[in-house]
Amino acid sequence: MAISGFNPKARWDRHPLGRGQAIPETEDSVDPGILDEKIEVLAYFKGSAIFPRAFIRNNKVHRIKKITYNWQERRGREVLNLFSVDTGTCLYQISFNNTTYRWQIDKIIA
Amino acid sequence: MILHIDMDAFFASVEQAINPRLKGKPLIVGTRERKLHTVVCAASYEAKALGIGSGMSSEEAFKICPDLNFVPAEQSKYIWTSGRILELIKGYGFETVYVSIDEFQIDVGDQGQSPNGGCPSYAVALAEDIRSKIHKNFNITASVGIAKNCLLAKLASKLNKPNGVAVLTEANLAEILAKTPVEKLCGVGEKTAEIFHDLGIKTCLDLYAKTPKFLERNLGKNGLNLYASLHSEESLEPADDDPDPKSVGHSYTLPRSTENPGFIRAWIRLLADMVGERLRQQGLAAATTHLWLNGPKIGNFGAQKTFPEATNDGCEIFRRVLVNMSKLGPQTPKTRALGVTCSSFTHTRYLPLFDQQKSRESLLEAVDRINDRYGDGSIYPAAITLTREMP
Repeated sequence: MAISGFNPKARWDRHPLGRGQAIPETEDSVDPGILDEKIEVLAYFKGSAIFPRAFIRNNKVHRIKKITYNWQERRGREVLNLFSVDTGTCLYQISFNNTTYRWQIDKIIA
Repeated sequence: MILHIDMDAFFASVEQAINPRLKGKPLIVGTRERKLHTVVCAASYEAKALGIGSGMSSEEAFKICPDLNFVPAEQSKYIWTSGRILELIKGYGFETVYVSIDEFQIDVGDQGQSPNGGCPSYAVALAEDIRSKIHKNFNITASVGIAKNCLLAKLASKLNKPNGVAVLTEANLAEILAKTPVEKLCGVGEKTAEIFHDLGIKTCLDLYAKTPKFLERNLGKNGLNLYASLHSEESLEPADDDPDPKSVGHSYTLPRSTENPGFIRAWIRLLADMVGERLRQQGLAAATTHLWLNGPKIGNFGAQKTFPEATNDGCEIFRRVLVNMSKLGPQTPKTRALGVTCSSFTHTRYLPLFDQQKSRESLLEAVDRINDRYGDGSIYPAAITLTREMP
């Protein structure tokens, strides 16, 4: 059985105000720490694998101590490589867009 | 021999791998970001130990454990991980079946058999190797059940959870089945368990010892199927890579019950649209539509109707589902969960004759192209926006 790439979640969990805008605070909403900021990343590419090593945010270099997980996601025709990365002080989700070759910091996980 | 590989608290484990600070802590994965108004779709073993499980409302879970950690589900991670695990398992070269997003089965054939009916060392070594590779690659654990058929292998996979291997052989089968309540067997729900209890069947061994005639007399054809599944020494059927599905459906549980007709119809419209999109992706059209509603007064309501013309247009599916819904009367019932399913598929669809139909076809093609280019949900019917806010 083939695994469907169809993602129904994309419909109803898509940010109601558009990407990059703050979700209104409600008593029980989880602060997703959404950032959606373009960033510069130092990474090396080995075969088909990507290893981000450090990124610059707010003129500060954040060294990546550990990539805790990585996965791929398709958004339309674009394929994103997503990484959860630990800098020692914070856990971030960053992504690399395989079409635009741009890196972005998606959110602060913890 | 069949190996049934079952990921341990799959979604929760992936989230704990992403955020190691959640390891060893009670965690639930919910279906949306409002943590008090959602349903638990996965619980970590630490949360399970507190009595929290899938299907429970998150509000109830937080009452049990106010310090519970919550992460909203993100399907893409789980689908991607599941796909990579499937590739890893297929790499061993045995017949492999994708049972569900967190379950896989492989048939190791005679290589798994032990000549004296004892522990099949080859199958156990293989199970340990698979578990070790899954852990190394994804930092999550799996449990494996080994037995002569799929049903017993699935049962075995639950016996040493989490992170364990259990083997059912001719030598230990009776002893283990005698200790296992019949409710643990896949497919035995609350109602079937009640029937079994009335028949004096309390353990899996009680059931295993019954004759096919006894099971047929009391459970009909299902009883015979159950006997065959329990006693067979089956091989996995070679998987067809692209079989046509028998049905395509989507369902959703609302944060709370509501009888707001606009809101419920908007949800049915969304689910119908999602079903229509999937049908078009697979080049199918469906003649039968089925509506399922669940609510405090109606319980589980289901109605289906087959129409002369097959369709894959979400709007038309929505209209047909409303025909099914009209069986409930003019009032919209208080609803907590709902689902839309289509079946009776055909590859050929009627050709549009009239301008209105032709323009509808063009619209659907354009919508599909936009969603294909920019991602699902980039463009959708306006009525669906009503689903965003619970009235």
